[in-house]
Parts: sequence; structure tokens; C-alpha cells
Amino acid sequence: MTMWHVPDDDLRAYAGRGLGPPLLWSTETHVLSCSRCRSRLTSLVAVDDGWARLDAALDAPRPGPVERLLIGVGVPDHTARLLTATPALRLSWLIAVAVTLALTALLAKAFTPVVFLGAAPLLTLVGVAVSFGPGVDPTYELTVTSPVHAFRLLLLRCVAVLSVNTLLCAAATVFVPGYGLAIAGWFLPSLALTVTTLLLSPRLGPVWAAILVGSAWVTTITWAGMVPFTTAGQLTLLAAAAVLSVLLARRAALFDVLSDRRLR
Amino acid sequence: MTLTSATDVAVRADGVVLRYGHTTALDGVSLSLGAGVTGLLGPNGAGKTTLLRVIATAVRPDAGDVSAFGHDALRGPGRLEVRRRLGYLPQDPGFHRSFTAFEFVDYVAILKELTNRSARHAEVRRVLALVGLDAVRTKRIRALSGGMRQRVALAAALVGDPALLILDEPTVGLDPEQRMRFRELFADLAEDRAVLLSTHQTEDVMSLCRTVVVLDQGRVRFTGTPTDLAGLAAGRVWTSDSRVPGALASWRTGSGAYRHVGDPPPSAPLLDPTIEDGYLTLVDLRATEAQR
Repeated sequence: MTMWHVPDDDLRAYAGRGLGPPLLWSTETHVLSCSRCRSRLTSLVAVDDGWARLDAALDAPRPGPVERLLIGVGVPDHTARLLTATPALRLSWLIAVAVTLALTALLAKAFTPVVFLGAAPLLTLVGVAVSFGPGVDPTYELTVTSPVHAFRLLLLRCVAVLSVNTLLCAAATVFVPGYGLAIAGWFLPSLALTVTTLLLSPRLGPVWAAILVGSAWVTTITWAGMVPFTTAGQLTLLAAAAVLSVLLARRAALFDVLSDRRLR
Repeated sequence: MTLTSATDVAVRADGVVLRYGHTTALDGVSLSLGAGVTGLLGPNGAGKTTLLRVIATAVRPDAGDVSAFGHDALRGPGRLEVRRRLGYLPQDPGFHRSFTAFEFVDYVAILKELTNRSARHAEVRRVLALVGLDAVRTKRIRALSGGMRQRVALAAALVGDPALLILDEPTVGLDPEQRMRFRELFADLAEDRAVLLSTHQTEDVMSLCRTVVVLDQGRVRFTGTPTDLAGLAAGRVWTSDSRVPGALASWRTGSGAYRHVGDPPPSAPLLDPTIEDGYLTLVDLRATEAQR
């Protein structure tokens, strides 16, 4: 039986998680085999603190897969939580988007690439429409009256939805080989449609704005076919996206209060 | 920021006008709030919720000024400062129903700029305990009763210990015991902060409010103490053994006698008016004025 016992200061530091190696290792080994030091340790450990820590760990929100991914790539946990409170970044939604993209890509391979190029921006559009706004975000009124700028939150969510959809669309292009860079023609329409929807949403609400813009897009590609995906079409969409983005930035204040529709 | 005396003005609204379409929701509303509970009464469609939204910085009025704690609540950096001091319970609080009570309040705490995780979680626990939801904090909101959800929404409003609380019908859906608990809580909270409470529950106003404001058709019709409001019906509440046609309101009480509000007949036995009687009298006076 050993006659040496861990000094009080070291044992207190051990109990408070303040002891570093190698003293930590020797203390731990000793405590395991010495009932007297274990007993002294018990009196030093703040049991209530331990329970409080355990309690806190048990009821703390558990991040979902997308939230964990965002935190993993360096997004602060509070921002990740704000971002993933939208259905468009839930795993079930993303799986649905991926499956739809894969199906449209297969249809595009069998018939015409317009099926894929036309559908991909619509999926992004729907994702953005359900990200934030009256009628789609249940905490919209609370968000508008909180110190977090509603427009900033809207942009953050849109960027997150756009980024994730861009990755999924890029992955889906694997199913439509033989078109080179032209198959990435969905990107600029996605951007232009998204910005247009955001611009219209303070007046129409996000859902109706998305329906209007989406319908206009479907009509366009039904009549014009591949024209929006030619070089001239893409340059036009780029210019439109740029101009509309500037306009959107100028109207940011509109997102900082409830829109008129909400009052009725 | 806390209010040290009842005369400290926390919020001042001056000539607030708000129209949507052809409807004038607020028609030159002016009021000031200090420490304590101010009750906002009025019939449906009077503009109560719109006024609360304006003061809560959710809606910008067409005309008029609103300031809180010396900051312009309608524009610029002042509005951000007001939002930092604000706890707001909307009339129809929305929830992410898949969240637990803890997760929801935590989400609102993030919206209120509480970014430090451990400090935020401690605050969430504090406010959930304050509204008596400690035991169900890990339950999903969709599994909670209407009253419990209302308490979750109130907990969210209390995050960050706001100096100004705006509560739109907070006791709706609560049973009598819960309403009593809420009253206790509001009374405690109102000691050093301004609480603006919109309600249809005149008992809440009588038992809690230092000041009562009656809004009707977008205009302030009365500002005073609950006793002053009840006093408007002094001499106009009486009792009899039968129904009296022509009274403003008339109903049979549990004792079998009829209680009437309106112009009493000569020598009718008068009763002490309640705040409800005062409110009815006020609304009647307004209707009579409108007819002229």
C-alpha cells in the first residue's frame, strides 16, 4: 500500500480540470488505486456543478446534419442555427432536390438539355422562396423586430441555399455528358430568378413572387428553348442579375419592417 | 436600462398615423409609457395590434414619431437600439414546431445577439424557469398545449431582460391559474421596466395596470387609471329584479337580480361600477357622438 497521497493543491486542480500532464496522468493513476484520495476528491468536486454541466449538455440543442456540416466548415454555431432554421436546408429537402435533379438530368439526356437547364433554377427559386418571409418563416415577425438585420439574415439564407443547390446541380450535370460548359447554363438563370424574386417579395410575399417569376421563366424557356443558354442569353442574364442586385441592395430597408400584406 | 421611477418616460408616440389601403388603422395616436404596466383596451379592429407593431418597430407609420429610451424608434441606428431593449410577444406568435421549447427560445436568443453559447444557454434556462417551463424544456413545441406554447413565446420575449415589454394578448389560451401566475410575473417585471399589454381581459387591466389606454377606430379615446375608467360609469350601473329595455347592457347575475349599465330610472339602486362598465360606457359615448 502506497504511503504517498496527492497533495491538496494538485487534487483541487485535478477536480477543477486544471491539472496538466504529466501530473495529470500520475494523479489519475493514483486516484484509481487509492480510496483515501478518491474520498478526498469527492469532497473537492462540486457535485452540483457537475450535475449542472450534465444537465446543460442534455438539454442543449443538437445540431442536425447540415448544421454540423456548416459548423465543420467554420460557420459559427449561432449563424449555422439561424441558417438551418429554413426548410430549404433540411436533409429531407436536399434529398428531394437531389432526386429531382437526377431525374431531370436523366430526362435531359434522353430528350433535350432544356429540361435540366430549365428545372435547376426553379429548384433554387423554390428553396429561396421558403427561406424567409411572411407566411413561410413562422418567426418572421420576431425576426423583423430583433436586432439581427432581417435583410442580412435573408441574404445569408439565400447564399446558403444557392451554394448548396449549386453543388447539387453541379453534381447532377454528371448525368448529362457531352454538352461541355453549356450544361452549367442553369447558374445565371438561378441567380437572376432569385434576385428578381427577392425584389418582388416585399410587395407580393415570397411565395407569390416565386410563383410569378417561376411562371415567367417556364414561359420563356417554353417559347425560346435554348436561347437563354446561348452566350448572348447568358450575358443578358448576367447583366440583369447585376442590375437587379444593385436595386435589391438599395431596397434593403424594405425587409426591415413587415410588408403591407402582413398587416391585412 | 431600467426605469427608476414611474415618471421616467420609456416610450413616447406622437401623432402616429398609419393607413393601409383605404383603411386608417391609426389616426393621430399619441401616448407615453413609463415604468409599470400600461393596458391597451379596445374593440376588435380598434388598431391595438397595429399600434403595438409600430412601437415594436415592426411597422413604419405614414406619419408621426415614436421614440423609446431617447432613441428614434422609426429609423436609423436608433431603431436598432430600441430593438436591443425590446421584448415582443406578437398576437400570433409563430413557432418552428419541430424545435423543442429550449431550441426555440435559444433561436430567439440568437436573434437577440446572444452569440456566446454557454451564456445564451444559461439565459434560455433562466427565462424558461421564469415562466415555469423548466420541466418541459426538451419537449417539442408541437407536443405542447396552447397554454404552454404561449408561455414559450413569453419566455422568448423575456430573453435578454428587456427594458420594454410589448405583449399582445399574452393571456389568451391560459387557464385561470396560469393567468394568475402570469399576472404575478408581469407585476414583478413591471417594477423597473415598461410593459405595454394589449388585452380583452378587463380583470388583467384592473389588477395589473397603472395606466389604461382605450383605443377605438384608430384613436385614443381614454387615458387614465383603471379606477378613472371605471368611474366613467359612476351613477350608470344599477340593479333590478327584471330586465329593463333600453339599457346599454343588461344581464341576469348568479343571484337572480339583473345588472344594468346605462341611464338608470329614478330611484334605482345604484351599484359600484367596474372597469368593464366604464369601458362599455366609453364605447357607447363614442357611438353616440359618431351618430350626431
